[in-house]
Amino acid sequence: MNIKIFSLIAGVLSIILFWIGWVSMNPSDEKAMARFISVESLLNNETSSRTKLGGIVKKGSIRVSKTNQLDCFFVLKEGSAELAVNYSKTRPDLFKDGAEVIVTGQYRNGIFLADELQTKCASRYEGDLRKESNYKLEELET
Amino acid sequence: MTPIAGGVALNLALGCSVLSIISLIAYNRTLDYRLFLAGQRLGLAISFFVFIATFILGYQLFISNFDIDYVARYTSFETPNIFKISALWAGQSGSLLFWLFILSIFNTITIIQNQDRHLNLMPWVIITMSVIQLFFLILTNFITNPFEPTQADFVVQNGNGLNPLLQNITMAIHPPTLYLGYVGFSVPFAFAFSALVNKDIGALWIRSIRRWTLVSWLFLSIGIILGGWWAYQELGWGGYWAWDPVENASFMPWLTATAFLHSIIVQEKKDMLRVWNMVLIILTFSLCIFGTFLTRSGVMSSVHSFTESSLGPVFLSFVFIILISSFGLMFSRLTVLKSPRKIESVSSRESGFLFNNLIFVVMCFAVFWGTLFPVITEWFNGDKISVGPPFFNQINIPIGLVLLALTGIGPMLAWKGTSNDKLIQNFSLPIIFGFIAAFIFALLKFTAYTVISFSLCIFVVVAISSEFIKGVRVRKNKFNESVFISLYKMIEKNRSRYGGYIVHLGIVLMFVGFTGHAFDKEKEFGIQVGQSESVASYNFQLTRMHEEERPNHYAWITDLRVTDASGNFITNLHPEKRVYFHKNPDINKRQPHSELDIHSTINKDIYSIFSSVSSDNRTAFVKIMINPLVKWVWVGGYILAFGTIIALWPRKD
Repeated sequence: MNIKIFSLIAGVLSIILFWIGWVSMNPSDEKAMARFISVESLLNNETSSRTKLGGIVKKGSIRVSKTNQLDCFFVLKEGSAELAVNYSKTRPDLFKDGAEVIVTGQYRNGIFLADELQTKCASRYEGDLRKESNYKLEELET
Repeated sequence: MTPIAGGVALNLALGCSVLSIISLIAYNRTLDYRLFLAGQRLGLAISFFVFIATFILGYQLFISNFDIDYVARYTSFETPNIFKISALWAGQSGSLLFWLFILSIFNTITIIQNQDRHLNLMPWVIITMSVIQLFFLILTNFITNPFEPTQADFVVQNGNGLNPLLQNITMAIHPPTLYLGYVGFSVPFAFAFSALVNKDIGALWIRSIRRWTLVSWLFLSIGIILGGWWAYQELGWGGYWAWDPVENASFMPWLTATAFLHSIIVQEKKDMLRVWNMVLIILTFSLCIFGTFLTRSGVMSSVHSFTESSLGPVFLSFVFIILISSFGLMFSRLTVLKSPRKIESVSSRESGFLFNNLIFVVMCFAVFWGTLFPVITEWFNGDKISVGPPFFNQINIPIGLVLLALTGIGPMLAWKGTSNDKLIQNFSLPIIFGFIAAFIFALLKFTAYTVISFSLCIFVVVAISSEFIKGVRVRKNKFNESVFISLYKMIEKNRSRYGGYIVHLGIVLMFVGFTGHAFDKEKEFGIQVGQSESVASYNFQLTRMHEEERPNHYAWITDLRVTDASGNFITNLHPEKRVYFHKNPDINKRQPHSELDIHSTINKDIYSIFSSVSSDNRTAFVKIMINPLVKWVWVGGYILAFGTIIALWPRKD
């Protein structure tokens, strides 16, 4: 390979690798990165940086504002740790009591303000076949 | 009874794969031709038993035999027939069997096609393919068997059923298309591996796999585009690409495969880049397996325990085995692989290809880096930091723009080197057009990236068109034909080249669509009948909202009248809120679903989602998005497929 091409390749390569490294250190958008932590460690450290949490929507905890249906509060449960979450955007269809969710946002004064809410992408209905077999086919047919 | 037959078929396939590998290895030692024939036929027998197993599972799904755990989990009596069949690839064990099924189709074709061709390569080709089959057979036999019976102490009345989100025809086609792409690369990989073992490194093996590679690439591309299209039409977040680990898993092998498609041209024409081509096909195949791993193991998508699976380590070890054995073999053959020829000039087409390859691979690395970022940061400082779309966009937009530029530059370079006169002659027109476009877009106050992207698109389109015009002009003068005939004949005479240019045009259109994303607008609001709300320069009036009960769901339907700024009627949108299984007494089993409505035109999509309805049934909460130029992505996809088919079309001779 001639020297010119070799040095060009080396140059291009190092520029791009530098670029990837640089963006990894200084992402321009504050929403580019989030620290994945457990609800428990968030409550212990009360960090206000952008975080991502996973857990289950506590049964019966979903409260939707009467005036603005987009505004919603619920309790995120991970193990025994519980955290109040506020989310005020269009909710995914699979969001409901007991759903597994991942929320991203910031913790402020005892409440977690989420701007992203993902539900587990279920390829099927999870659940015990034993319980499932209790419902009758006729009930579904009209 | 039949479920047992399925399990037995899988056992037999496993046995055949072991025997096939043993007899072919014995053939390589003894050169007793009977052993080769035995190995070849056993190779066909593996596939035969896999076909039987797949058909049995398909049939059991079809007749809803809930004695099989898989059938009970993924289908129910109400599941429409077509989705009973597509349930074959809805779950883990079924989708692994389906992978194996496609692999077996490809293996059968390869073996039959090459009965009296490439005789020196075939033994190791069959061995390699059988080893891959063996891996999937081990998985389906011992780790996650699709024929596992349901627990014996109770009778399943009805299965769990398929999620309504997946009851969509695109969703039925998307996974198999992707699989065809993923699996297809095992054939070129097997040939490459065999070429390495046999030290048969010239351009011959490349020629034998060019078509396979293109077919697999086409399926992978269509699979990716369909996935985006489905997400856009069904999921209701208004986008088609989210840099999700599973999406990245399909994008990474696509990138290296695209690089491979380009660099094999150099090996075919100039017998250069031999080592590099080996690296690319090994990487592509490993990334295909790695992609299946990312999709199936659930390591990435997630928090602590989204879909736990025992498959992760097994897959990862297989990827390592592939990488170590192929790269080990490659290094031991390095002296043979060394190409006698060298690239002579920076402005040659060879070097153009080399740079395009470099950028593709680096982009693949960037995606890999982002996808595994949480894992990497956890290693370094114990913090799991996940990165989102803004991160991927920031890194990849400039790299993608360089690639876009190369799409135009590459074809205008001549083999071996381009003289300065030629450079000026070829580049002046596209560059002038590009600059004029840049000036106009800058005047319109677009952002820097948008200006660069649009003007590069113009640059590439002018460059490609001038290639077409040049070719047609030469033919027209030489043979005195009409423009259309000479265009047709020119493409027919050199399908792979002009097919490739058409693919480039498709890519340009897709870039136009991607760039349109910069102008997206969205708004979420609650609205009552008679009220209206404006988004961007459009006005949305809720004229009616009614409820309807349908066979398998209950629906709230809105009528949104859309007008533009000056009050002209544009369209009526009818997004719906549905609840499936609405009669199920268990409220948690009811499944809400937003059926969105899109008004799609060539310059913008008006995208509406009905997210919820107030308890008094009077206020509808909707989300409206104005997404410019999205349609260009789909149109670009069609053109890409069309161009690939032209390049693939067999010659008459």
